[in-house]
Amino acid sequence: MSLKTVWHAIRNTFKAIRNGEFLLRIRADKFYMHIMYLFLLMWMTILLSLQVDKTLSRVGDNKVELERLRIHHAEKEAALVKLHSASAAEIRLKQLGSEAALPNEPATVIKNK
Amino acid sequence: MREQSEIKDNIQNRDRIHVVMFFLSLIFMVLGIFILVWIVKIQTTYEVDSRVIGLFRPVEQKHVDHPVRGKILATDGRPMAISAPLYDLYMDCTVRKKDYAEDGKDSLERAWKAQARELARYLSLEFKDRSADEYATMILKGREKGSRYLRLQRNLDLSTIQRVKTFPLFKEGPYTGGIIVEEHEERIYPYDSLARRVIGYVKEQNRIGLESSFDTELHGTEGYEWRRVTDKKRWIRDLDSASVKVQNGNDIRTTLNVDFQDIADKALRAQINANEDIRAGICIIMEAKTGAIRAMVNLSRGATPQTVLWERENLALREVGEQGSVMKTVTLLSVVEDGFVKSLEQTIPTNNGLVPKYNQDIHILDYQRETGRRNISVMHGFEISSNYVFAYLAETYYGKNPQELFDHIYSYRLGEAFDFDITGLGKPVVNRPGTAGWSGTTLGTTAYGYGLSVTPLHVATFYNGIANKGRMMKPYLVESIEKDGKVIRKFVPSALNESICSPATADTVTRALRAVVNSGTATRLRSAKLPVCGKTGTARVVLTPEERGGSRDPYMDINGRKKNQGTFVGFFPADNPKYTILVTVYSYLSNKSFYGGTMPALAVKEIVDKIYALDSDWRPELRRTAHVPDMKEKKK
Repeated sequence: MSLKTVWHAIRNTFKAIRNGEFLLRIRADKFYMHIMYLFLLMWMTILLSLQVDKTLSRVGDNKVELERLRIHHAEKEAALVKLHSASAAEIRLKQLGSEAALPNEPATVIKNK
Repeated sequence: MREQSEIKDNIQNRDRIHVVMFFLSLIFMVLGIFILVWIVKIQTTYEVDSRVIGLFRPVEQKHVDHPVRGKILATDGRPMAISAPLYDLYMDCTVRKKDYAEDGKDSLERAWKAQARELARYLSLEFKDRSADEYATMILKGREKGSRYLRLQRNLDLSTIQRVKTFPLFKEGPYTGGIIVEEHEERIYPYDSLARRVIGYVKEQNRIGLESSFDTELHGTEGYEWRRVTDKKRWIRDLDSASVKVQNGNDIRTTLNVDFQDIADKALRAQINANEDIRAGICIIMEAKTGAIRAMVNLSRGATPQTVLWERENLALREVGEQGSVMKTVTLLSVVEDGFVKSLEQTIPTNNGLVPKYNQDIHILDYQRETGRRNISVMHGFEISSNYVFAYLAETYYGKNPQELFDHIYSYRLGEAFDFDITGLGKPVVNRPGTAGWSGTTLGTTAYGYGLSVTPLHVATFYNGIANKGRMMKPYLVESIEKDGKVIRKFVPSALNESICSPATADTVTRALRAVVNSGTATRLRSAKLPVCGKTGTARVVLTPEERGGSRDPYMDINGRKKNQGTFVGFFPADNPKYTILVTVYSYLSNKSFYGGTMPALAVKEIVDKIYALDSDWRPELRRTAHVPDMKEKKK
């Protein structure tokens, strides 16, 4: 193949593009379905990538929220447990002016016959 | 001719191709040399412009996930140590100050200051530690002086910090409001000082208690992930990069019973607070059948009685010392097990309380005077805690072969620091024959509680062996290791010695221990709601040279003051022991004496009475006898 032939091919390609005949010249109609399929794949890849980004953003938000709830739970648990001791109950009862105190005798268990 | 012209054309064509190929190869060769030179330059001298690096480097960050430290739980699952972050609140008082200083922006500065005053009012209402004016002065002075890091509060919880973020000015955010919140992970102990020495802590190099011993379980492992920025400027995980998932720490379920710990702590506090001469007190409650420690209290004051009682040191594990008369049980168990004493009613001569080489026992003189007898039963000698009786027994039965008694001591595990869940169990000091501490009187003094130095945990473990009919259980503090509520490792009770004595010997010694409570040195426990067996012990503590101040007596300073420790150790209920209990109090240097039968026994009584009321084992049953007829209308 001479350089002249190559030059002709390049010139014809530009002319075909200018005239809007490029795809017809290369007989692209034969590959129409393939091109559409490729386009669909690329479109889906972009879409899925955006969806993945969106989901991972939500995962990040949820992680932060879960961590916040964990901290909140730990704090509330500690506060609750603090009250859940005999001494704490006695002090609270005293503050409230109650005469109730820790039992002196064990609780009686009622059993069926 | 035609052939000649074709050949000529071919030659011309070939020459042109050769020329083109030559130039192409020349270009590639030059390019290759250039690339090689460039590679060498990059590897040696080339430095990339920092502005260029930013353009080529992918926008990614390594994010390290720190594990949440596991909880330490009581036996019923109540948390005794939890991890949660706390927050420190600071303020950058200089925000927008320069902007507002420009011409025509005075009104904005005035508005900022007005908001700051409003913020001060909210802060005052929230924290109640300063007035609104004080807060306002702090903030406005800080703005004048250019304070960028004014500390407002420390160690706030999440809900408080969330409320604070809604306050005037602060709700504008850090760039206008100046709010700075710093987070730091903290360990929360909901029961404050309760069992703090057992739970322990890990603070850089200071590591004690369960937090230290089980640090690898509690800590967990760090994880990391690479994050990239999205088109919407959000940081998300980069799925194309490697990541390691964070593993939170495991939970530790201890054998501690919060209620028992609370009861013991309170009872001991009451006794110590009532007497300024008491420096410290400890209590151990152990489950007889398993060796599970249900409570371990270690309360002590500081250098002076004025300091607050707190869990400062783990005396139960580390205080190696002579335990006094509570060790007479060791001798009694040995002589009964060896068959030297067939019955507790067996008598020995009183000899005016004198065993050659030993100090006279004045208790025996009192006994002789009161009863007119010249002999005393082993049982009575144990009841009144006579040093003479036990020195006599040791010298009579082990005088020829002292090692025999020491073999017993070692079999009771009183000569070794056995394996325990918390590191640092004190190593006993046994002055056996052949050691530097052995002298002509060591056998007798060991028999009545001096010469042998052990920790309170050793003593409690030994008594627990008697309560358990001779099976000496290994004390333990950790029941299981759990992950998200599921048990991943369980620790089962184990024995230190399957049989320290026969069940018959254990029963005999139990009878003697019961007699101590009924008619001996621990009669304060007679009225306890559950029958208690046990032994009192009073020991002098060996003083340091500084404490002695020149005194030759190792137990006394130059002013005649001594340090005492009083102990009660035993188990309850007497007929079917469920718990072993030990209470010891330690005094400052004092002229007063402290006995195991007083403060320790009173503390034990209070503890036993309260455990009786709480423990489900002793609940009386009521049988339902009444019949309530079914009053439902019958369907037709």
